[in-house]
Amino acid sequence: MTEARITLDGRTLEVAEGDTLLDAARAAGIEIPTLCHDDRLDPFGGCRMCLVDLEGTRRPVPACKTTCADGMVVNCGGERLQRVRRTMVDMLLADHYQDVAVKDNELERYAVEYGVEQPSLRFDRRGAYDDRNRFIGFNPGACILCDRCVRYCDEVMQCTALEHAGQGGNALVQPTQGKSFLDTTCELCGGCVSTCPTGALYEKQATRNGAVTEQECAKTSTICTYCGVGCSLDLNVKDGRVIKVTAETGVGANDGHLCNKGRFAFDFIHHPDRLTEPLLRGDDGELHPASWEEALARVADGLGAVKQQHGPDALAFLASSRCTNEDVYLLQKLARAAAGTNNVHSCAAT
Amino acid sequence: MTNSMAEIEDTECMFVIGSNTTEAHPVLALRMKTALRRGAQLIVADPRRTWLAERAHIHLQLRPGTDIPLLLAMSQVILSEGLQDRAYIEALTENFDEFAASTAAWSPERAAEVCGVGAGDIRRAARIYAQTEKAGIYYTLGITEHVCGVDNVRALSNLALITGHIGREASGVNPLRGQNNVQGCNDVGNNPVYLPGYQEVADAEVRAKFSAAWETELSAVPGLRLDQMMSGMLDGSVKAFFIMGEDPVLSEPNAAKVNRGFEQLDFVVLQDIFLNETGRLYADVVLPASCFAEKDGTFTNSERRVQRVRKALDPPGQARTDLWILQQVAKALGSDWGEQSPAQVWDEFADLSPKFHGIRYDRIEELGIQWPCPDRDHPGTRFLHQGAPIRGKGLLYGLDHVPPWEETCAEYPLLLTTGRTLYHYNAATQTRRSEGHNEKQGHPFVEVSPDDARALGLKHGDRLTMASRRGEIEVRAEVTDRVHAGVLWMPMHFAEASANVLTGDGKDPEIGVPEYKVTAVRILTS
Repeated sequence: MTEARITLDGRTLEVAEGDTLLDAARAAGIEIPTLCHDDRLDPFGGCRMCLVDLEGTRRPVPACKTTCADGMVVNCGGERLQRVRRTMVDMLLADHYQDVAVKDNELERYAVEYGVEQPSLRFDRRGAYDDRNRFIGFNPGACILCDRCVRYCDEVMQCTALEHAGQGGNALVQPTQGKSFLDTTCELCGGCVSTCPTGALYEKQATRNGAVTEQECAKTSTICTYCGVGCSLDLNVKDGRVIKVTAETGVGANDGHLCNKGRFAFDFIHHPDRLTEPLLRGDDGELHPASWEEALARVADGLGAVKQQHGPDALAFLASSRCTNEDVYLLQKLARAAAGTNNVHSCAAT
Repeated sequence: MTNSMAEIEDTECMFVIGSNTTEAHPVLALRMKTALRRGAQLIVADPRRTWLAERAHIHLQLRPGTDIPLLLAMSQVILSEGLQDRAYIEALTENFDEFAASTAAWSPERAAEVCGVGAGDIRRAARIYAQTEKAGIYYTLGITEHVCGVDNVRALSNLALITGHIGREASGVNPLRGQNNVQGCNDVGNNPVYLPGYQEVADAEVRAKFSAAWETELSAVPGLRLDQMMSGMLDGSVKAFFIMGEDPVLSEPNAAKVNRGFEQLDFVVLQDIFLNETGRLYADVVLPASCFAEKDGTFTNSERRVQRVRKALDPPGQARTDLWILQQVAKALGSDWGEQSPAQVWDEFADLSPKFHGIRYDRIEELGIQWPCPDRDHPGTRFLHQGAPIRGKGLLYGLDHVPPWEETCAEYPLLLTTGRTLYHYNAATQTRRSEGHNEKQGHPFVEVSPDDARALGLKHGDRLTMASRRGEIEVRAEVTDRVHAGVLWMPMHFAEASANVLTGDGKDPEIGVPEYKVTAVRILTS
């Protein structure tokens, strides 16, 4: 691999071919602010938050989009860049006039960091976007036109269900041709939500009973219950309920990506149809609630009677491949060691 | 999967067969999309024009149930044009002559006729696959759910072996597992002939090891497979069922027959999170269990990675963790295992299973480990068969076309195949309890080609009755050129129009997997 040597804030760094200045800075532990950047997307250079001074150029260059070349001398800090970044935050805040506050807001964090308490200008030029889908909330009043969502949809999902429409003061991001998310090629994966830095796109399910912020939730890192890809995800729980599902970039087999099921199909957990007590079939042919003691005694009697009359191989055990390894291990042990039969299987043979 | 999912991004040729990856494995498909952006070639063999098929360099839109002729013809092209990896075949395979002889009868022209694809496309697909350095095969149930499911897999394995596309990064044969823990379910011994860790019941030494660990005698009688359990209910050899999280009435083929079987049982226990059809109709006892968010444990994904599942919530009401329930049931049957934690259960499994010995909870806190992992210092295995096939030499198989169990006829002239959609999941007990998913896709439908629709006088959205020799269901017509004339496709998710009312008794003779993918049907319009 070809390497280049650059000087960053006075430090000499060896970098790999193709690395951007942002990559090099991060590897060296030097922080450069970004808003339009997502490691999973092509470098964009739109928000100008990552401007750095490159010796030999008149104007600062975006670190996310500038490839390292041998001999570059770069400065990431200093008063001039601070001023530039402060101005950028100020300008971006002008368009950020509503906040549903469900998601962590990167822009507001920078506003605090750069001391922009009130923006110099305040526009209020985009109307609400009421969409009938139940998963993806969209609040154009918080959008800063960084296009992360549009690019995610184009580059990662390759669905092209979002567009950056209009120009200048009329520019806005919207589902294709301003339709509902349900009527475009959108697959409801919510990747746009996950990459949005300001919460303009947010999880609607987290607002069902009043907006719940990420800080209010306890996160449990686990694995998705649907297909065999095994995506890592975080269950965000408040008051004993899953409020939403998020996934962190750089973690697990999925690098922060999820599909519509992994991200949004969790209502079943709290569904009123959940079984909450053991049931026994009565003489009337109906199922009736019972205690665990009664239910376990009935299981032992029923299985025991069949075993006694017809032998252990008249018993069959079936496990779901949705259960954990530990559950299934114990089920086959139940069949083999407790009941005495190898009749244990599932539809997992395929 | 022989390979890891991350390797897909570096693949130069993807041969996707019997897999609608963007809908059934959406996040894995993102790796394929990345590979496409990087310039990888894509060959798709599928009866439907799927998302990937639309973007494929070659789409072999074959008739359902004709995979072997297609793959034999591709093999013939590779051999006749000298595109095989002679060194690999010579050193690392066996039974080449029988295999080569079996390809002789299948010229691209003959296969083209049987499969309904172009002979030129078969040739081009064979050349691209054979001549690309990093070529991976990706398949799912479109390959396995046939009367010849095992032979279909062998035909793919043949292709990989003769081209040496195995045992290397980004080159291999990759079944994409349909459910979160299909892989693990097999790994931990949920199988009538394997004890945990793929150790054979038939092996007396293996039995002695488990016998000692579990402090009880173990049966040497091989168990029944799922399909044999289903027929066993009817012939009286199976009298009771203990079901943890499955719904055979909906998910097994030929539902009418499955129902007749359950009616004859003495005793049925269902342990589940919802009262499913099987439980509603036949359970004597229903035990309320926990979902993934309510327990600790592990799932093993498609790339053999054992990953930690963590508890975020308590189970609702009197529902309990599955582990607790199983321990109580064992105790009630006279086997007191104490109250082992999930970690202790895993350790018991790993202690007894050499391939998994090195995987322990403390090692998989951050990131899971891919088995084989024989000891605690082993980093796990990213791809299999490195250097040489695990069994020493790769076994090539002589194969021939196996027609589907049921073929079309004058009375049932259309061929129905089934699958999964992006918005639902299997019997859909979870996704159909999500309003947002139902709004996106809430009704059973069948895809009908414009030609068939015209011939039947059907319009998009019309209700119709679809019948096979076993039964009939009502669905809506979705008129689309995704399917060819003569072929229908429907999702398996809708209990009110279950595809398994229609499916038949065809199954692979070696492993008993049902032929969900081919059913002869007719459409009745009112």
